[in-house]
Amino acid sequence: MISSGARRRLLVVLLHCLLGLWLIYSILPPVMLIAASFNSTALFRAPLDLILLRDFTLSNFGQAFTRGAFWFFFQNSVIISSAAVVITLVVCVPMAYGLSKISGRTRSAVSFAVLAMRFIPYVVLALPFFLLYVNLGLAGSRVGLLLAHLAIHIPFATWMLIGYFESVPEELEQAGIIDGCSPWNLFWNVTLPVVRPGIIALAILVFVISWNEYLFALFLAGSNAQPLTVGITRFLGGAEAGVEYGVIAAYSVLIVSPVIVFALAANRYIVSGMTAGAVKG
Amino acid sequence: MANMRSRFTRGWWFLAPGLVLMTLIVSVPLFMALRYSVHRVFLYRFDEQTFVGLANYIRAFRDPLYINALKTTVIFTLGCLALSIVLGLLVAFMLSSRHVRMRPTWIALFLVPFVVTPVVAGIAWRFFMWQQEFGVINQLLGALGGPSPYWLLERETALISAIISNSWHLTPLAILVFYSALTTIPDELYDAGKTDGAGPFQTLWYIVLPMLRPHMLFVSIILITSAFREFDMIWSLTGGGPGRATTVLSIYAYDRGIANQDMGMGNSIAFSMFIFMSVAAWIYITVYRRVLEN
Repeated sequence: MISSGARRRLLVVLLHCLLGLWLIYSILPPVMLIAASFNSTALFRAPLDLILLRDFTLSNFGQAFTRGAFWFFFQNSVIISSAAVVITLVVCVPMAYGLSKISGRTRSAVSFAVLAMRFIPYVVLALPFFLLYVNLGLAGSRVGLLLAHLAIHIPFATWMLIGYFESVPEELEQAGIIDGCSPWNLFWNVTLPVVRPGIIALAILVFVISWNEYLFALFLAGSNAQPLTVGITRFLGGAEAGVEYGVIAAYSVLIVSPVIVFALAANRYIVSGMTAGAVKG
Repeated sequence: MANMRSRFTRGWWFLAPGLVLMTLIVSVPLFMALRYSVHRVFLYRFDEQTFVGLANYIRAFRDPLYINALKTTVIFTLGCLALSIVLGLLVAFMLSSRHVRMRPTWIALFLVPFVVTPVVAGIAWRFFMWQQEFGVINQLLGALGGPSPYWLLERETALISAIISNSWHLTPLAILVFYSALTTIPDELYDAGKTDGAGPFQTLWYIVLPMLRPHMLFVSIILITSAFREFDMIWSLTGGGPGRATTVLSIYAYDRGIANQDMGMGNSIAFSMFIFMSVAAWIYITVYRRVLEN
């Protein structure tokens, strides 16, 4: 008979082993990319050889920077993602605040519409956007791509923010009203500081979503507004012929590093953003 | 009374600009999708539009490729859902144990698959995980004396591979939601189970699961919407192939609408997705309200 203390210790070890296995599974694909990006012959090498950097080189990154118009794509990605964050916040923060201030049927109707919009498959919007832009001359422009991004960000952000604003106690604003705050002051100086963590979480998520977005870019970017996600898929044809794996890996690493760094550095915010709305009607 | 009124107008001033923009930016394309879906219209030839009623939809439902794409999408969605929920629940349950150390670090690392760019994730899985000779999966299988299939090149295995890769990307969401819900379950409840002699799995089944019902629903609907419209990951993983084995509706709509320039058909395929999703959303909202009331 094993003592209960020993059994518990065994259980704890087992628990950590299982979590460790899950951890390996979770990070293995990106780790393989990173490993391959630092090897000169990334093709036809056993995984362990890649991870141990048997053919270490930095030249893949040199090629990724120079061959794939990297900086042009990078610029587009940065501009579109940052603009998406700024505009989404400017539009959605007041909107969600306003929604939390009106009452009754209008509010539930608008909330319902916002929630319903989150279910729209992206391709349903991408096709008409494409047609619209061909007619308006917005095809292949950053503005056009940005507008399409906003079509997914605005419902998502509003929905998330409503939850944050609703969690602010009513008494806080009542106190502000008694002190004679103007509506703008109530919003800017009383309520907004309380929901700041939520807004940071939202900003990070919106950036990550825009940075990672591919479908809209494929449909709408033309040749002038292509972000990094479109840039990488241009390599795929070449990869099938058995070349460029290391360069593709390096390019991939350059694309995902910012978001992975974000995920690790700001994970507290991302977690709160991802779980927001889990328990509300 | 005056206060009520000013409160009302105050809300509207904040609300109106965003509401207008959102309506424009979402409703206009949605309406256009509907409009094009009942017209015969081709890319770059917009002058020749003829109203054809439901002909595009009827054509779609008679099209074996559409039915195939629909089937593939449903299998893909349900596969991702089941896999992500089960794994997410197990990992969250383990993670929520009091004995686990450095939980924030685990969570931060478990989050990684969720933020990895789906197109890039598809590339990583395609070249370094599923690859027939040197991919991690077949290397492991080989070490155990197993077979080494061409995962992405065979019709039977390609869809399964796509499901696994995509659920790798989605599971962190399930883990996080379940984990944050589990941490709100009071310790007394676990202790009560323990004194009744419940093992870990009995605890999970009889105590934890019933409490997680609303979260389960929330995760399900997010996973369903996300998997149902998935394009990026499948596109870079298999491109919809081999043959049409992984051509989901999003890819088929692109195929018909852009690649084949048949915009009427493309839009009717896409709009049919919207209809399916609306039904799913309606069911979700109805069920969710009922679960919350209980």
